[in-house]
Amino acid sequence: MLSIRDLHVSYGGTRAVEGIDLDVGAGETVLLIGANGAGKSSLINAVIGLVRTARGRVTFDGRDIAGLPSDARARCGIGYSPEGRRVFPSMSVKDNVLSGAVRLAPREQARRWDGLVDSFPFLAERQAQAAGELSGGQQQLVAIARAMSGGPKLLLLDEPFLGLAPVWIRQISAAVQRMRDEGIAVLMTEQMARPALRIAQVGHVMRSGQIRRSGRTEEIKGAALAEEYL
Amino acid sequence: MSNQASIRRLPQARRPALLGGYEWATLGLVGFAFAVPVLTRNPQILSQTNLILIAATAALGVYIMLRMDLMSFAVPAFMAIGGYTVAVLSLKLGVTDVILLGVAAFVMPALCAVPLGWLILRLKGVYFVLVTFVLTEIVQLLLFEATPLTGGSNGLVGMPAVTLFGIELMDNSQVLLTTAGLAFAGFTITALFTRYFRYEFTAIEKNDVLAESLGLACWRYKALAFSVAAGVSGLAGFALVNMLLTAHPTSFAPMSSVSYITYTIVGGKGAILGTLAGAALLVTATDLFALKGELSPGLFGLLIIVVTLVARGGVIGLAAKAAGRLRRASPAAPARVAPIAAVPARGVKS
Repeated sequence: MLSIRDLHVSYGGTRAVEGIDLDVGAGETVLLIGANGAGKSSLINAVIGLVRTARGRVTFDGRDIAGLPSDARARCGIGYSPEGRRVFPSMSVKDNVLSGAVRLAPREQARRWDGLVDSFPFLAERQAQAAGELSGGQQQLVAIARAMSGGPKLLLLDEPFLGLAPVWIRQISAAVQRMRDEGIAVLMTEQMARPALRIAQVGHVMRSGQIRRSGRTEEIKGAALAEEYL
Repeated sequence: MSNQASIRRLPQARRPALLGGYEWATLGLVGFAFAVPVLTRNPQILSQTNLILIAATAALGVYIMLRMDLMSFAVPAFMAIGGYTVAVLSLKLGVTDVILLGVAAFVMPALCAVPLGWLILRLKGVYFVLVTFVLTEIVQLLLFEATPLTGGSNGLVGMPAVTLFGIELMDNSQVLLTTAGLAFAGFTITALFTRYFRYEFTAIEKNDVLAESLGLACWRYKALAFSVAAGVSGLAGFALVNMLLTAHPTSFAPMSSVSYITYTIVGGKGAILGTLAGAALLVTATDLFALKGELSPGLFGLLIIVVTLVARGGVIGLAAKAAGRLRRASPAAPARVAPIAAVPARGVKS
């Protein structure tokens, strides 16, 4: 589904990502863990096209997308939930969620909305409310639901658990697992290693822009490597 | 899977009505200008109404671009293109039909804006401001230098009166009716356009990077808006040239863009009514302050400072806030509902 080869990202003279190789298959959840500044968000942003890659290839669904702008990548079927609860504050919750479904027909959008309401019942309760008036955790969920609403083949989640109460973390985890069951690939970054390792199959530990350790999540859990790095 | 980068609509939960309250109120007020010549023959009032409508229509070009957080100084440039298109058509080709001229005054600047937009709409913030200002300077230079077409520093003088179904629209009242028609067209186009793409423009204004990552090709919306803003500015240029019966470069001075931006900000950039309110307030104030001679610029500046300090949302924002307070203070009003963020949903701790 997603294949990254020898990816490099730089900001001016600072190297944020160096020579990353990574694959995410259909129905697979891949986790990037690492401390602040490890390069996780830069890697995600390079996949969606928000930062330019200095070198390397990004192939999605057999197509080289490295030269595409981010809106074209989204239309290819990549859903993206940024770090930091970025919602459109003056729009309603439902408008925010469906803004991720631009490429779908209205009937499909309605079906997607119903599915998301099953996963996150609070969306129905708050659907007409301005998203800017929600609590931080609720805004995070809206951002994640928005990334899911377009029916993506690949979902990019940047720190989805950041600042969330355990009840919301459980809801997001359940939703991610359902997406995995539907064959959707998920690439997520997270500093909260324990809940993230529970839903991922493959983990990569990043430090200083490089992958230092990769493996099945059981192996990473077993070695307590995440804690070592965090 | 569709991968076309065409203009797409954000799928709103509930599509808004064709026009909202502010839009209807604005169109009602602009439409009222048609009645002014019937109500009075006072040349002062006719002239003042004319000036307000032209200023407000020009300010729409700023308003449209501000919907996407882009401050444009290009309004005088597109006004000039619209105005000179009309002057050339009437003087050199003998076209006087107001509808044909109106279409030309809209289409020509809108078409010119397409390649220009392609060049400059990838810029943001201060760079966009700077380039649009330079664009206006370049157009000004071309007006002076392209003498065979524009008449150079003499301008194009002696334009015939425009006609509607063969009837000449010559006197003050008829000139105002022409301006009112052009303003009404400009306001209607702007109201429908900004309302139709309301959510898309809001998404781009608040966070264009995020909007793009959701699949909105932001630069296409910006290009479309730039083109429509240019067309509406062209209508204002037509009205100005028609009032003066002359197309002259000084009518489209680059610094006049500051006035159009001021009308929009002082009136309130959050609603289309703001452009009309700002233009009405400041054009009238300019007229009143002119009686004070050398104090005039100082008084004008003071008014702008006071309005921007007291009313960050402009005159319309202030009025809306005051109306909201009155509603809440009314004994019949229901008890205020706590903000949603303070009412956690089931199990929410964050």
